[in-house]
Amino acid sequence: MTQTQRPLELILARNLMSALSTPAFLVDEGGLLVFYNEAAGMLLGKRFEELGTVGPHEWGAMFGPFDEAGEPIPYDELPLVVAVRNGRPAHANFEIRSTDGARHTVEASAFPILTAHGTRGAIAVFWPTAGEGTGGAAMNGADPGSPNGAV
Amino acid sequence: MKVKLWGTRGSIPSPGPETIRYGGNTSCVGVTLSDGSLLALDAGTGIRNLGLALPGEPTRLHILLTHLHLDHIQGLVFFAPAFRAQTEIVIWGPASPEASLRDRIARYISAPLSPVEVRELPCDVSFRHTPETEWEIGPARIRAASVAHRGPTLGYRIDDGDTSLAYIPDHEPALGADIEALDEDWISGFALARDASLLIHDGQYADAEYPDHIGWGHSSLTHALSFARRTGAERTVLFHHDPLHSDERLDRLGAEARERWATVGGRPGAIELGAEGGEYEPRPGPGPRSPAKAL
Repeated sequence: MTQTQRPLELILARNLMSALSTPAFLVDEGGLLVFYNEAAGMLLGKRFEELGTVGPHEWGAMFGPFDEAGEPIPYDELPLVVAVRNGRPAHANFEIRSTDGARHTVEASAFPILTAHGTRGAIAVFWPTAGEGTGGAAMNGADPGSPNGAV
Repeated sequence: MKVKLWGTRGSIPSPGPETIRYGGNTSCVGVTLSDGSLLALDAGTGIRNLGLALPGEPTRLHILLTHLHLDHIQGLVFFAPAFRAQTEIVIWGPASPEASLRDRIARYISAPLSPVEVRELPCDVSFRHTPETEWEIGPARIRAASVAHRGPTLGYRIDDGDTSLAYIPDHEPALGADIEALDEDWISGFALARDASLLIHDGQYADAEYPDHIGWGHSSLTHALSFARRTGAERTVLFHHDPLHSDERLDRLGAEARERWATVGGRPGAIELGAEGGEYEPRPGPGPRSPAKAL
């Protein structure tokens, strides 16, 4: 058997996310963005079916996220990446940029998908915050032990 | 490889005059590999008759459990070879963070549900969690993978020479998903069933029954046919019949399945409903085999 198969946990996560109105993102165990739902697509201005699976650098160039100074937040510090690498929840505020150039301030919470065979990936939900587009990247509930708190 | 259906019913044994042809015993499939090695897929009440059919001489066999719902293990304490000291039985099943496979099965094979305990079984029995990677039994390569059902549940693929059997008796791949539209790698169980010589798959519900059973872990007829079409299985046997479905009802479901399969260009004879006692000798097909049109 040579056909690769997504882990069942990712399949079920995608199925659930597809039914949610909350913007949600899914990465695999390697940190590759493998799915986001329609609500996330509306936020970004691009449906997942139009974009497809993308790596972190391509994703960052298109959408960010950015800190309060407008600088890209390092990949290693993103909640999804922290969740999948460290196997624990992570949370942050930051800005993302949609395809029409608009900036949206969001809160993002990510949690790992842990199984008996280890971490399969991670899910993040985004909550657009009041005053979006005004900048600001305050970290809420950040882990004090993490690099610059951006987790 | 030779395959025999010893129990095709789902949920609960359903004996009676209305289920004589398709059978009332719960899930069990016997597989004889090309070197004579014997596998039992699940241990529902059908395994009792499988055990009675085996010779009384010393036997080594493997039981591959998809999950531990009662309709898949109920026959274990009535499996005659388990009560012979000469028999070696290896039971494979899904791991759980909560307890070992042996301890979870022992909840059934113990008082007050059973007159015997696991430790009292005369046979040489061992319990193994299925590995993440392929392993070998005799000449066959075996692979297990988690599939969409309630609780930790596996499907199996058995490759023996150039033939293959996929066994996914309890499966709801369409839960929250459109399996006609999804990419292959996002369909639960796809890699197990892809281009299988023989696919034995959940077909518990008629389409009209499914809306009242969403999330119960089983497939409607449409979902089962779509899964068969997408995976390109050479031959598909619908299995795990609902206990409320009489022979006549299953005849109608089977006719509907064949008609719809033909409508989308499927090969005649490639879809059928499993009946207790049914025997198969999977052979590699000429491929490509699945109908091109969606259901």
